[in-house]
Amino acid sequence: MKRRRLLRRGWFGSTVSYIYLAVLAVIAAFPLVWILLSSVKSKGEITSDPTAFFPKEFTLDHFKTVFGQLGFGQNIVNSILVAGATTLVAITIAALGAYGVVRFFPRFGKTLTRVLVTTYMFPPILLAVPYSIIMGKIGLMNNRVGLVIVYLSFSVPYAIWLLVGFFQTVPLDIEEAARVDGANKLQVFYMVALPIVAPGIVAVAIYTFINAWNEFLYSLILMNSSEKMTVAVALKSLEGQEVLDWNVMMAASAVVVIPSVIFFMLIQKKIAGGLAAGSVK
Amino acid sequence: MRNKRYMAKVAAFCFILPALLVAVLLLLYPVLSSIFYSLTSKHLIKADYDFVGLKNYIDVLSDPSFWKSFWINIKWTVVSLVGQILVGFTAALALERIKHCKSFFRTVLIIPWAFPTIVIALSWKWILNGVSGFLPNFLVSIGLFEKAPQFLSSGELVFPTLVFINIWFGAPLIMVNVLSALQTVPKDQYEAAQIDGASPLQSFIHITVPHIRMVVGLLVVLRTIWIFNSFDIIYLITGGGPAELTQTVPIYAYNVGWGLKMLGRSSAVTVLLLVFLLIVCFMYFKLLDKWEKEGTA
Repeated sequence: MKRRRLLRRGWFGSTVSYIYLAVLAVIAAFPLVWILLSSVKSKGEITSDPTAFFPKEFTLDHFKTVFGQLGFGQNIVNSILVAGATTLVAITIAALGAYGVVRFFPRFGKTLTRVLVTTYMFPPILLAVPYSIIMGKIGLMNNRVGLVIVYLSFSVPYAIWLLVGFFQTVPLDIEEAARVDGANKLQVFYMVALPIVAPGIVAVAIYTFINAWNEFLYSLILMNSSEKMTVAVALKSLEGQEVLDWNVMMAASAVVVIPSVIFFMLIQKKIAGGLAAGSVK
Repeated sequence: MRNKRYMAKVAAFCFILPALLVAVLLLLYPVLSSIFYSLTSKHLIKADYDFVGLKNYIDVLSDPSFWKSFWINIKWTVVSLVGQILVGFTAALALERIKHCKSFFRTVLIIPWAFPTIVIALSWKWILNGVSGFLPNFLVSIGLFEKAPQFLSSGELVFPTLVFINIWFGAPLIMVNVLSALQTVPKDQYEAAQIDGASPLQSFIHITVPHIRMVVGLLVVLRTIWIFNSFDIIYLITGGGPAELTQTVPIYAYNVGWGLKMLGRSSAVTVLLLVFLLIVCFMYFKLLDKWEKEGTA
């Protein structure tokens, strides 16, 4: 009995917890740390002393190669454009849709959730075949607009799912007051409901942006010229070179992963509240 | 009056119209066209194709390589899922228990979740690199191995290594969601159970589990589907190799479609994949309905 209480409340259980979490933290953070360290070490150093931790000589040359010789800047611009446009369009469509369902078709809500869950079951590879055929037919192959359209297929359902939860928290009487004052449906939507759920919209928007920024398969299949590639596919193409330059690959990886990590830390609490975070990746 | 009500319905419909268009044009139509192409000899480059009936399905189902990928896919899903839940759950419970540095650990532990798949692939390939990678050399230097282990090219190590990376990536998501689900469990129930002399394990099973069952249940199903469908992480790290040892069904479908250039047959594979997943999802909805009834009864 005494021992059991010790385990439950006492120092033993929390010491074990601390040790466990510390081990997990090292494993979780190691790749990020290793990317950063490898990106500033000199070429000879990473191969001659693979287990050395800190760089003996610090260099930013690899970042210069990434932006100069490889023209990674253009790929970053592509990714920002594609992810930004996807976010803007998807959030607009999803906010209207989620609000419409909550306000005007509430009984449709449960069915909708199930339909949305079902769309998650579509293996991305299932849609890849028809997308590549359709985009070829309508002339949007290797085109950033085409990629944005394709990205709506996963970002809109996901955003609707998250936003339905947020719109359900908007009190109906505030909206009715606005209606009495003569506002029409659209005005009530963007002047009353939208400001209330604004923090939620921001979180969902950032999440949508990250998902589009990270997307790989559709971009791989649809974009084939290096100046139109998104960063994810451009990074993959570095691996196709004959001599693998790990310094440069890690520098390029650092450029891609850091914004994503920062954004994630900013929004993680908000997203997790809605559980739905579990849905996609 | 009637006209006005009709106009209101039209206005309401306009709100959901764009979302419906996305659903029909980007989800329903492509799925239907996939089913159509799966019945044809569609080629990646050649323009004309013929209607071939069920030939693609017969070819796929009689290909031993397909069945091998299917079993690898099941194994990959089950082992990854169990690992992610185990690590994610225990990490969440440990975080609940500690007093200091909570937000520090929480922030560090979600880092893997933010990694784009291509960066997951490159960074782990570099860390595990058989010549100058950190881990193989480190294991040799502390005397655990005599020769640098080839994590990604040895037939024995490649599958467990890939599963490890998938757990590394997926556990944070489980952790964060379990953490937020744990907040919904009323604290006074634990105290009452403690007074009644319940062990921590008992209160975990009888108080914690029933409260978070729905949330975690949905999470598990979505994760199962997502892991089952995962393409990028495998494609980018091993490409399905060595010797098809890590080839799951989505990778098989990609290789048939873009490697062999047989889009028709590739469509047949993906349609089969969808049918399988629909069955899994249907069973889950049945279970969810049962739980809901139990909850209200």
